[in-house]
Amino acid sequence: MRTRSPLPLLFALASAVLVVAHDPPDASATPQALGLPGLSAGTPVRFDDIPLADHAEEVASYTLSAKLDPSAHTVHGEGTIRWRNASSVPVSELWLHLYLNAFKNEKSSFLREPLPFRTGETMKDWGFIDVRRLALHGASVDGPGAAVDLWPGAELHREGDEDETDVRVPLGRDVAPNESITLDVAFDSKLPGVVARTGYAGTFHMVAQWFPKIARLESDGRWAHFPFHKMAEFYADFGTYDVTVDVPDGYVIGATGPMTESRVVGGRRIERHQQSDVHDFAFTAWDKYQSLTETIEGVAVKVLYPPGYTKVAQRELAAMRFGIPHFGARYGRYPYAVLTLVHPPQTAGEAGGMEYPTLITTGGHWYDPKGLRAIEHVTLHEFGHQYFYGLVASDEVTWPFLDEGLNEYATEQAIAQWLGAGSFLDISGASVSFNAGSATISDRAVHNERVAQPAYAFESGSDYGALVYARTASIVETLRRVYGDAQVSLALGRYARRQRFKHPSPDDLFAAFEEVLGASVAKTLRTALFDKGWVDYAVTGIFDERASERAGVYDRAGKRDTVAEKPSADGRHEGWVLVTRRGTLTFPVDIELTFADGSTERRRWEGDGESTRIRIEHRVALRGVVIDPDHNVLIDQNLLNNHATAPGQSGGGAPRTLERALYWTQLLVQQVAP
Amino acid sequence: MSVVAERASSAVEELVLLTNDAMRARRRPGAVVALWAWETAMAVLVAWPASALVRSAYGEHPRGDAPLFNPGGFELTDFLANAAHGIAPVTGVLLVVVLLSAVIGLVPLAGMLVSIAFSTRLLRAPGPRAVAARALRAFRPLALALVLATVLQAVLWGIAFGLGSLTASGLSERAGEARAQQLGFLVTILFALLVAAVGVVHDLARAAIVRFRVRGIQGIRLGLNAFRRAPATTFWSWAWRALAACLPVVMGALVADKIGGRGGLALFALLAIHQLVIAARIALRASWLARALRAVDHAHRVYRAIPSRDASPASDPSAPSPISAA
Repeated sequence: MRTRSPLPLLFALASAVLVVAHDPPDASATPQALGLPGLSAGTPVRFDDIPLADHAEEVASYTLSAKLDPSAHTVHGEGTIRWRNASSVPVSELWLHLYLNAFKNEKSSFLREPLPFRTGETMKDWGFIDVRRLALHGASVDGPGAAVDLWPGAELHREGDEDETDVRVPLGRDVAPNESITLDVAFDSKLPGVVARTGYAGTFHMVAQWFPKIARLESDGRWAHFPFHKMAEFYADFGTYDVTVDVPDGYVIGATGPMTESRVVGGRRIERHQQSDVHDFAFTAWDKYQSLTETIEGVAVKVLYPPGYTKVAQRELAAMRFGIPHFGARYGRYPYAVLTLVHPPQTAGEAGGMEYPTLITTGGHWYDPKGLRAIEHVTLHEFGHQYFYGLVASDEVTWPFLDEGLNEYATEQAIAQWLGAGSFLDISGASVSFNAGSATISDRAVHNERVAQPAYAFESGSDYGALVYARTASIVETLRRVYGDAQVSLALGRYARRQRFKHPSPDDLFAAFEEVLGASVAKTLRTALFDKGWVDYAVTGIFDERASERAGVYDRAGKRDTVAEKPSADGRHEGWVLVTRRGTLTFPVDIELTFADGSTERRRWEGDGESTRIRIEHRVALRGVVIDPDHNVLIDQNLLNNHATAPGQSGGGAPRTLERALYWTQLLVQQVAP
Repeated sequence: MSVVAERASSAVEELVLLTNDAMRARRRPGAVVALWAWETAMAVLVAWPASALVRSAYGEHPRGDAPLFNPGGFELTDFLANAAHGIAPVTGVLLVVVLLSAVIGLVPLAGMLVSIAFSTRLLRAPGPRAVAARALRAFRPLALALVLATVLQAVLWGIAFGLGSLTASGLSERAGEARAQQLGFLVTILFALLVAAVGVVHDLARAAIVRFRVRGIQGIRLGLNAFRRAPATTFWSWAWRALAACLPVVMGALVADKIGGRGGLALFALLAIHQLVIAARIALRASWLARALRAVDHAHRVYRAIPSRDASPASDPSAPSPISAA
């Protein structure tokens, strides 16, 4: 039997499928006016009055060589550490972080804490670091050039606690304020099977937190030292890193800072990377990396990625084409010459989604559809950490909201400006933004714990994620929507610029907001972050009737009149709406009144007091009311009480849902029906 | 060519088996409408509680459920997070409907096959009672064929995913994970073609069961033999219709994308377009089933030993010819 050719039909089908997923807009076309509530690109803000610091105060500098054995998954390191007492008091001991020991055994703080946050904490292979020597120059009685090994006197762990990530090293003498010391160091690091940010998978190696690292000494002489907690990250002083990486020839290296030397000797590839004004150094080596490079705003951007991921790498580059100028305009120019994006293979997924100075790791699958923007989000998020963590080097352990929270806000603001309402998902008519996701996620945890607390103090990983990331982002985004993009950009931009190469506290953030937006807004921000602040606007009453002369018995001019109920001749209506604010936060909101003829009218309530009664007089009946119709208050706890219909009026029903549900179920029935 | 009369029972009208050339879906628009009505009835069972759930949350909004379709999905994500207690029962209803559709749906399917394969003596479309009577009689053998085909397809899917996964992991080191996963996907797709082939044989078996009123196993044998006779042609006949059935869905999605959360006439237009999509897909399915009814004829002639309760078309020379009637 001969059938009619279906090829034209199939061609049309293929063409249609190709256009369903929307391409991200060209980064050069941004900022774009989105025409969406609260998502406008905003007015450009200038920061001419705030000079950007060129360099950080150099406190802890490392000159190291690192030789990778990819078969044993070990790194032999040696070199010198130059450290300056930048505090105002003499110190007689050093605190060193040996982060890799978090993966040494199940008695480490990291593996003891039952708080799932990032997946993959199940150890595939142990990791640890053995320090062989830590010798202080100029401390020997044998002469000024000799060095004394301090390591035998080091206190590796506290009594009763076998965690070995936080080590005390007595110096044997006082180091005066502003005095510098030099330490010779030698160590052997054994990388774990990839777990929470670091490790190996096959020949892939992500070498992070791999060397003995001096804790930060606060200006008052207090050491900010801590064991490596599961949900916490890091905190360190700025300095210069000069690291020579030695790997087998055939391996491709990605590392912090620009490569200043490269040679191949005896079958080994040796690269030297140098970078000032940073507080960490990480590198990766793999014999299967492919790379893409592009110079964006003077920054040499390199993407290292697995074979078959070229399209993903191109998406990540596109994100940087938008991100570098965008973050530069808002939070100050990116000051480094290089940026390396590392896309780990799927088998090493836990190495993805992490930030190091000038090197970030991303994630995602080669088959992720264009309309799902997780790849763009993680790329922008990790790049954003170059600011909130890298340049604005707050204490990630004590105040994680200052880096993760502010950075998630900055990421969501950026990706919304770039990709519009479908910043998270934009497939076949369905668009969901990251703002929406964060608002929804954070709503569920708001009463559990406060946002502003140390990472290790959170009771659960889900609270940590919902509050530190999503809640902080939603709070700041609410301020942006309510008080305007220009104002909030100015406040956060000033904070980021003033705190560049510094170690700010929450008070520095609040000061910037108070300076730009006033004391009450700064107080709102503080309450939201420190005191589990919340808000819920609700329509608690609505009334409407035909206007009429007030009926009753009146004594007027010596006569007693009885006035009967009589509707006004012009058909006017009178009514009121009662709007209540619950919770501890206050934001001004718009209240939209809808009338029977379809017209609308907006009233503004500053949010002062617990409720407001809005009197209405109109030529036709009041149909309904909606509080905050533009969704400026993202952190409104309950959206379902934000609207109401006047008595005698009908709401809009759910015809769209009925139609869609009918159609989708029909399609489903067709799939399962015989 | 001729048709053969069959005296079904005294209570229902007499049906005659059409000749192959006369078995065309386009001659039975009523059957397409009937199946559309069945699917719509099933869908209403889910759509109504789903919309009631939304109505309870957004019905009093001046714009109704329109905010749930706002770009950015703010209200939608909030609703989904806060209406979880109501979503579970709707999902339960959905599962029941899916099960009903899979099992009881055999009756309307058989009805469509009867409608395409048979006519009244006056060459009119069979009436509902006659169709229902025959369709109900075919239920048991159709159910047996459904169970056997479903089990076989599930096993094949299991093998497909297993082999695909093994291929991906086995080649990952040598070919790189992306290429290895693509090869694994290819292996899965090849098995998916086998699964589809089982589905084609299943449809042929259904056609045989209804056309020749044979038992389930016999129907499967007939379907298998019909497929073996011309596997490529038969598979392609199914495949191009299956692919073409995706086209209206894509078009429907594009229109829905444009219309978004608008109401009024736009919503009505979307409803009409979506229902046309559903009807078009049913028509394509009917077209394939008609093709399957024709395809099993030869297999039946070859395997005459299989007892059938329908006489061969050639055995009743007195019957009117549907070709001349057409």
